Amino acid sequence: MSSYIERPRFSCALCGALMAAAALPDTIPIVHSVAGCVGNVAWTQQGGAALQVGGPCGCLGIPGTNLREREVVFGGLDRLREQIANTVVVMEGRLFIVLTGCVSEVIGDDVDSVVRSYKWAGMDIITARTGGFRGNSYRGYEELLKTLFRDYVRTAKRKSSRLVNLWGVVPGMDVFWRGNLEAMRRLLESMRLEVNTFFTGEDSLETLACAAKAALNVVVSPLYGVEAAEIFTEIHGTTYLVAPFPIGPTATGRFLHMVAEALHIGNEDVDRVIDRESERYYRYLSPLTDPWIDLDLQRYALIIGDANYAFALADFVADDLGWLPEQVFVTDPVPEDQREDILGRRAGLRPEPEHRLVFETDTSAIRHRLDPRWFPVEDGNDYRESFSPAFVIGSSMDRELAESLRAGHLSVGFPVANRAVLDRSYVGYSGGLRLVEDLVGAMVAAR
Amino acid sequence: MSYFDRATPPTRESRLASCITYGGTICGLAGKGRRSCLENAERSFSQGSICLLLPALGIINSLPDTAVLIHGAVGCGTVTHSQNCIVRMGSAARHGKARDVLWFTTALQELDVVNGGERRLEDAIREIDREHSPKFLVVVTTCIPGIIGDDVDTLVERIAPEIKARMLPVHCEGFKTSIWATAYDAVYHTIGRNLLEPPEGELTSGPNPRLVNLMNVSSMGRPDELELERLLRALGLEVNIFPVFADPGGMHRATRAALSVSTCPTHDDYFLKHLRERYGIPFSIRHMPIGIANTALWLRDIASYLGLKDEVERVIARETAHLQAALEPLLPLFQGKRAFIAAGEMRALANGTLLRELGFEITGMRTFHHDEFAEGEYEKLAADGSDFVVNIADCQPFEEANLLRRLKPDVFMGHVNANSTAARMGIPTVAIYQVGMHFVGYRGVYELARRLHRQIRNPSFNQRLAEHVRLCYREEWYRRDPFSHIQRRGEDQL
Repeated sequence: MSSYIERPRFSCALCGALMAAAALPDTIPIVHSVAGCVGNVAWTQQGGAALQVGGPCGCLGIPGTNLREREVVFGGLDRLREQIANTVVVMEGRLFIVLTGCVSEVIGDDVDSVVRSYKWAGMDIITARTGGFRGNSYRGYEELLKTLFRDYVRTAKRKSSRLVNLWGVVPGMDVFWRGNLEAMRRLLESMRLEVNTFFTGEDSLETLACAAKAALNVVVSPLYGVEAAEIFTEIHGTTYLVAPFPIGPTATGRFLHMVAEALHIGNEDVDRVIDRESERYYRYLSPLTDPWIDLDLQRYALIIGDANYAFALADFVADDLGWLPEQVFVTDPVPEDQREDILGRRAGLRPEPEHRLVFETDTSAIRHRLDPRWFPVEDGNDYRESFSPAFVIGSSMDRELAESLRAGHLSVGFPVANRAVLDRSYVGYSGGLRLVEDLVGAMVAAR
Repeated sequence: MSYFDRATPPTRESRLASCITYGGTICGLAGKGRRSCLENAERSFSQGSICLLLPALGIINSLPDTAVLIHGAVGCGTVTHSQNCIVRMGSAARHGKARDVLWFTTALQELDVVNGGERRLEDAIREIDREHSPKFLVVVTTCIPGIIGDDVDTLVERIAPEIKARMLPVHCEGFKTSIWATAYDAVYHTIGRNLLEPPEGELTSGPNPRLVNLMNVSSMGRPDELELERLLRALGLEVNIFPVFADPGGMHRATRAALSVSTCPTHDDYFLKHLRERYGIPFSIRHMPIGIANTALWLRDIASYLGLKDEVERVIARETAHLQAALEPLLPLFQGKRAFIAAGEMRALANGTLLRELGFEITGMRTFHHDEFAEGEYEKLAADGSDFVVNIADCQPFEEANLLRRLKPDVFMGHVNANSTAARMGIPTVAIYQVGMHFVGYRGVYELARRLHRQIRNPSFNQRLAEHVRLCYREEWYRRDPFSHIQRRGEDQL
């Protein structure tokens, strides 16, 4: 591993856990660290999370122990006790989650013992170890889920055969997380399932606490939340399905079949949903046909994203739009020995040659790993198999690259500085239509 | 021995006895001087805030030909995503083209915490130097290296002969200070130690009697710079804007100026004292050019150093008359409206004066910290006998929500990323600071008045929000004393 990361597309474990904890209903996170961690998350969101800053408890409203040199020397547990006791007085919440940062962990604070004492006193309080040196934001999300499943979800005697839990969409790191989770919920509900998604307005702490009743856990990610799913199985017995993040009709149809199969639901229910939704998708897409052909909107594509989006976007543009995703970059730090597993979990119809999938965390390195012949030359009086017309689907950090390729560009993956996202979703059938709108919108913006 | 002879600068707590905790009134502060507050006061409940790393990166990220290496956990640098927007817009405004910041993190892991991070840092510096060849490489230290004891300064000194990039260490260990203004000292410290001597062989001309350094540590965007440049040029001066967006290789030219001009003592006193002691350059630092009276005071102060007394009065008279005529149609809407202000101490106080000039009444003020520079400013506002609530806090929106519920101001002005409490309570809200908009000088008064006018004319966005969105505080909290979590160290909690 390199000794540095250049412009990573994620933050630290605390940031990921905090964005997720702040997204839970009626939940107040308490950050046990220095003051700057919370502000860092707020400013990270301001610049990277498509203009969504803070959750219900918002931004700089998140309680924190704001450790100083004194606590670094003498320990921070007294300060933590005081902070927890007073948080209950000031903040409106029913579940409190203590998240550790680098400083409280490096100085060796025994946070568990403090949290345990409040728990014994009857408070709904849990803690996760999310010091930034433990890993990136996805790791923080995973640690938060593990804590919830271990310490908050109650054991259930019986399973409910049509109840599923769904996770794998990481709040904040996926800037479309709210819309995406809602869209997944709708999709599965249309198959007459009950769904827990934990983080949306339709979820509650009660349904989270009863999540062990679920017959199946669906992890819509080849990577994020898989470890938590294993813990869930160990503790609560519910099995899990790792399904690719579904964008557009082809991937979504496969996704629905995978879920139905895992739940032993007959194909009829699934096919009814797929037929109806596909019909609607193509009814809306169809009038685009003339412009699509006339304006020659087929593109070579360069896809840059995290493990969820990179594959999902590549499969959508290849399988449904007929684009040519010549190179796909996964920007997560995935250890070599796990890469094969992840590749095995993607769903694309078209087996991609190995060299088109690249794991790369460093932003400038992406440019250096592209075929130099792809970049336009001024003296163009020659026949040339160039990378044109092209489109880059990546983050807002890839605009300079897209410009130098003279390619179109859309920010989808974190950081997204140049778009506002509220309830937009790219998941499922409607999500596919949204993405077509946004891609084509970017291509014809100067019209 | 100068502070600049040491590897690390002092904290604001130790250098200026700055503090962040107070709840009371303006008269309580104006009379007593800086010892009034606040010694040992602390909060028994607190909300997160920022640390000095954020404003430090605000300056560093803007420097051209410079890469930034953050030595810490992977999250520490991601604040750069928001600053990247400012650097892109700022580069476009200054150089005609947007530019992304080039930054790196050592992304320290568990093993580094155990074994020390120096090895990883050294490898990172060497690799970045080899693969990216930046002219300047700022090495920023954060909490973890501060606790585990990585000796970054010695490391940088040791490997400097083998590194092509000029390395600039900056110390931002967040746990060491609660006063994030220490960030400015941290960045100025490395500039003072590394960038003020002209490169060997460069012919240095003597001091330029018309040249002034206009200090900007990133709180002013290009529109604000242009306004102050316009005013200083009207006095016949040449302007060197320093240090944001300045070429580090040319920073030594600041030592040729006849005067350094600050817009805010919170920002610049550490460095300007160094420029005076080391290079004999006087400085003006007393006023912030926000508001009509304060802009005039700021200009007069500059003029008094440079013997431009007649010229400055002509400029002030012309500008004031021009502005007053333009403001006339906007003022009736403001008369008697009650305003609440929250920002950095000097900016909040200067805006208090400005809002009074527009016809507002001040009903409450929150400032991020307090130190000696603001004493005169509190007295300016308390001089007419009016009193209002003052709350010193490093944000802490729970105190703000409680105060706003009690005071019910007609308009709120707050800092970037700290306006949502007031906005969600339905109060017409205008940002008191946002890089890229006009705030300073005469133009700043006019544009701010227009923004206030717009917001008061139609505050529907905030009003509808307030009807549907709740803040996250218990109802009981609003009934308690807003300052009930402020206590002196050693006192039992109430």
